[in-house]
Amino acid sequence: MKILLGLLALCVLVQQDVSADIALMKTHCSKCHSGADPEGDFNLVELKQTPDEDNLEDWIQSLEKVKSGDMPPADENRMSTAERQQLIQFLRHRVLLHEERVRRPLRIPPRRMNNRELANSLRDVLMIEDVGTQQPLAMLLGDNLYKGFDTHGETLGFSEYHLDQYVTAIRNVLDATILVGDRPATRFYDVPTAKLAIADTSNRARSEQANRTATSIELLDLKKFAYFTNFKTVPTSGRYRIKIRAVAVDRHVYDSEETGIYDGDPLQLRVHLGDRVRDFDLVEGEPQELVLDEWLAAGTDLRLTYPTDGLRLRGNGNFKFQYRIAHDYIKANDPELYRRVVTEEVPRSKTRRDNPEHWVHWTGYWQGPRPRLFSATVEGPFYAAWPPQRQTALLGIAPDAANAAEILKPIARRAWRHDQVDEQLAPIVKLVQTQAETLGDVESLKEGILAILVSPSFLLINPDEGTPEDRFATKLSYFLSSTVPNQRLRAASNAGKLDSFDEVRGELQRQIADGGADELLREFPRAWLQLDRINFMAPDPERYPLYEKKSINEDMVNEVLHFFRHAVRENRPVPEMLAGDDSFVNADLAKIYELDGVANDSIFRQHTFTDGRRGGFLGMGAFLTLTADSLGTSPIHRAVYVMENFMGIEPSPPPADVKIEEPDVRSATTIREVLQAHQSDRSCAACHQAIDPFGYAFENFDPAGAWRDHYQPVSTGSNDNTMRKSNAVVIPIDASASFMSGAEYSDIVGFRKMMKTRTNQERFVRCFVSKLLLYANGIEAEDYSAVDAIVKESSRHEYRIIETIAAVIDSPLFREARPAVARSE
Amino acid sequence: MKKQHRRSLLKGLGGALTLPLLESAANSTADSAVAESAPSRAPLRFLVVGNPFGMHPDNFFPEQFGKKYRSPKTLQSLDWLRDRLTILSHTDHGMKSGHGREVAFLSGVLPETSAAFPEKNMSIDQLIARRTGGDVRFPSIHTTLQRGIRMSWNANGVDIKPFTDPQRLFDHLFLNLTEQERQVRRQLLKRNGSVLDTVGEQFAIIRRNASPTDQQRLDQFATSLRELERNFSDRTVWVDRDKPRFDISEHFDDSEVTIANRYNAIFDMIGYAFQTDLTRVATVGFSPDLSYTDVDGVTRGYHACTHNGKKEDIVNELVSIESFQISQLSRCLKKLDEIPEPDGDGSMLDHTVVLFGSGMGYGGTHSNRDLPILVAGGGFRHLGHVDTRNASGSNMPLCNLYVTLLQRFGIERDQFNTSTGRFELNFESEHSNPTAQPS
Repeated sequence: MKILLGLLALCVLVQQDVSADIALMKTHCSKCHSGADPEGDFNLVELKQTPDEDNLEDWIQSLEKVKSGDMPPADENRMSTAERQQLIQFLRHRVLLHEERVRRPLRIPPRRMNNRELANSLRDVLMIEDVGTQQPLAMLLGDNLYKGFDTHGETLGFSEYHLDQYVTAIRNVLDATILVGDRPATRFYDVPTAKLAIADTSNRARSEQANRTATSIELLDLKKFAYFTNFKTVPTSGRYRIKIRAVAVDRHVYDSEETGIYDGDPLQLRVHLGDRVRDFDLVEGEPQELVLDEWLAAGTDLRLTYPTDGLRLRGNGNFKFQYRIAHDYIKANDPELYRRVVTEEVPRSKTRRDNPEHWVHWTGYWQGPRPRLFSATVEGPFYAAWPPQRQTALLGIAPDAANAAEILKPIARRAWRHDQVDEQLAPIVKLVQTQAETLGDVESLKEGILAILVSPSFLLINPDEGTPEDRFATKLSYFLSSTVPNQRLRAASNAGKLDSFDEVRGELQRQIADGGADELLREFPRAWLQLDRINFMAPDPERYPLYEKKSINEDMVNEVLHFFRHAVRENRPVPEMLAGDDSFVNADLAKIYELDGVANDSIFRQHTFTDGRRGGFLGMGAFLTLTADSLGTSPIHRAVYVMENFMGIEPSPPPADVKIEEPDVRSATTIREVLQAHQSDRSCAACHQAIDPFGYAFENFDPAGAWRDHYQPVSTGSNDNTMRKSNAVVIPIDASASFMSGAEYSDIVGFRKMMKTRTNQERFVRCFVSKLLLYANGIEAEDYSAVDAIVKESSRHEYRIIETIAAVIDSPLFREARPAVARSE
Repeated sequence: MKKQHRRSLLKGLGGALTLPLLESAANSTADSAVAESAPSRAPLRFLVVGNPFGMHPDNFFPEQFGKKYRSPKTLQSLDWLRDRLTILSHTDHGMKSGHGREVAFLSGVLPETSAAFPEKNMSIDQLIARRTGGDVRFPSIHTTLQRGIRMSWNANGVDIKPFTDPQRLFDHLFLNLTEQERQVRRQLLKRNGSVLDTVGEQFAIIRRNASPTDQQRLDQFATSLRELERNFSDRTVWVDRDKPRFDISEHFDDSEVTIANRYNAIFDMIGYAFQTDLTRVATVGFSPDLSYTDVDGVTRGYHACTHNGKKEDIVNELVSIESFQISQLSRCLKKLDEIPEPDGDGSMLDHTVVLFGSGMGYGGTHSNRDLPILVAGGGFRHLGHVDTRNASGSNMPLCNLYVTLLQRFGIERDQFNTSTGRFELNFESEHSNPTAQPS
């Protein structure tokens, strides 16, 4: 009712003001936006009197530009504040009225589930811990991303190739879950030191490098892996008990500045069971016994590695150069030993006799931190019962194809996410019963489960099946957890307990607290910030060696994920994510960000920045790096990224016939000078005046995300090294710019302040909401007023994240249904 | 399978010497009378080689037009073929600048705008494979190392995942199953076929109840189901037939596995697959992420080299990478040219339409204009270096060339996606009907 009254009032208002406001636009806009060649390729007449399907985008653009103050531009502006408000009201109401009249369909077409969702859904339908250590889904076609999102229906597509691979992959999962035949015997494998072997993942090592003794071997660096020669691959699916005797060696002999391994980090041994990974902290002293008890599928490879991002700081990052640390250490700490090696061993060496510092002489003296392995045992397969419990949970104790309907029904209900499955199940029951004669009961039921799982009812999310409440539970579950809804969620939805904003908020809070929303907390920021692109143009390894050698890209991605997770769990206001004064850093990032007082380890901890330059997404290395080239930075790339991902503005790409000047790092011109064309050429300026100011602010951040006051000295010749010393030119950075609205900033500190104005905060919230809808719906949200309503709801809760997400879920765009009139009372 | 009467011992493609048995279904069933009616029996093939970042223009496009051009640096390894290739200057798909649009290389259509075209953004290789694929074991073969460049798109607008591992490609093309494995394979195909039939029935029920908004996506599923069922029945036929034998071990004899010998292996396998008529359409992509540091003089990443800021040493690295790509192509074409066409006149190269190019003009400027495009072989009367601009100086839509290529394969069309005409490249009339179906 409130809405209706509001609309009535609005109509009256608009009726009165139409002519006045069109006159207002004519006065203030038509000078530039008229004629055959209007500014920005936009002529006022295109708006006509009211929005229609063709010009709606122009109306929305006009509204956004007047709202932000970019239009009319400051130097031409003669509009009073009151007039601006009046114009904003007018444009806005016109857009809302139009959308109210048109009423786009809310129903979202079904889409293929992506590989991530498939893995989770199979896990939950089949009630197993994961799809299997034999990596049955590794052969699937990769999912293509749309603006970083792997949930976009049109981009995901569906083809014969997909279906073909699903049949094979899902059959593989089932074969490792439903075991036929006699119970396999349990065996014991003794793995003494002689049966431990070391190999190199890059296949380059000519001989084993393992510091082998009669009782132990060692993992020297991150490229090596150990395996058991008598148990390389799991022979039979079942539960296995693996025991490994290991110890940490020489944890703190070398300085962490030399090894790149922080003193605060534990030394770990990583056990790889296919793609399932288990990490164990090792300590120095007595050997420890590590015990694993795991269900492993036949065909699973077993490997042990030393997980570290260190030991790559010297030379080109290949491990051998690290042996020079041993040279330096002995030279400084054990002159007697040093003298002996240099006078006795080096002269007898086959290579590099003239150079005692060469790494080749010191391999036998390495005292870097490393795991030492003594022996292991493997026992299995074990089965608590036969057939195994995971099988009887699906089929019952003594499955009979005659009962196929009853056996398959609960599986179909989980897989298809609704209860009325009888009719659709009928052909599948028939299949099972026909096949039972030749295949037997268990195998034929397996065929039935396969049919359930390659059916579009499973593989497509959101087909038109079940009750609207079932579909809502499904959608919410895929949004939060990327998997099929559990029984509790479906029951709650069907009982009408998820119908209101408060109920949705309660459900959201519960899932965030108990881990149910972990998938959203991890995958949404990854998609939103397009973190997949971080190394598309990695910083040049020669100029920014730390970035490559310590895999800083991983730290940068983790910064985003820690920060986002924390912001959600603390339920902070959405705008704080953009330009708040804190973030999460570890020792690696502290080096890039030049921070003092950060603990000497890899753990991410909250850090408050006091210089006004960093904090929130705008200060994060991930954003600054993925928008930069490998040698230089581009204010345009950064501006476009900020506009598209934070401001919700889609700048139009340059026209096809524009000739783009190739950056020339040989000359001493700055990027700003190169981009002068954007100001002087009228056709460029029309768009770039609005784009560029979103990017210049970040010029103080280099391609690896570190602060700089000057551009890297450039040389005019081809040989960098000689030129750098002689006539190198040092150019200071100018990170100032002004917007068309007249707002100016002199550097990043000023820009960040500007991002905290009410208009920009609202833009950011709106953008966040749109991205959430894109993630949830797999389609761009085009309904301006519905998004507007979500932002309004968010503002009623100080833009807090949880309430904002709840408002998204409670919106007609997510529910795919307009609220019943009664609910607005 | 009946032995072919025109079998001959060939040494062309390195590796174990085997008697190439023509694979095609047409050949296996054709009687000798039909076989006598060569040369129209010789199949026409299509090879596409592409890269993601275009070519450094100064080193790719010759300065002179016509046949008397001087080969620029990147093209030098193709100098031996200079009379039998056509380099097209000033073609494009009318795309805006930037990465991501190179996926339209073989169709001129981006995935996001594909809804406006009847065949969506289906690539030309798939269109040709649809014509030539019915008679061979594999309608098309797609290869790369590491990561594909999304060149090939099917009629549903989904890109086709290439083989990224030469060993897996080998198994796919040449590995024969034991009798027992065949038995298992046959059974599995039958079981999977029954599952698909059942899903089809269940799907019919869903479809009956579906709302109109759902129909389009359900159509996609329906097409997939239908195509896969047909595919299963084809596979059932092929499971019983032997594949030709082939040996690529020479490329992996050295302990060092380089990019060069991996690409050599890929090209050799494709050459042999052509020779034995396993397939008639193949694509090879040069991956964007691949580390080309095996190639002489290259120390940086491929993508980083394209953004060289005109720095001389980095430009040189880029040109080394691009020359490497062309020399790989050249090596393959030379081999094809040394083998007489098994069932026709001339060499295999004369019966293989070769297209090299990229959907990006030059990565350094992110330009998608002036695409680097080269056509070789295929029995065309080649033209050397051609300026394709029209009288008013506008670039030619690359789709015009595709119209010509489609016609070469006997696909009678005068329009393909964004084409405005055809590119005048003629071919010998005796090959004018190369894909005639045996009656």
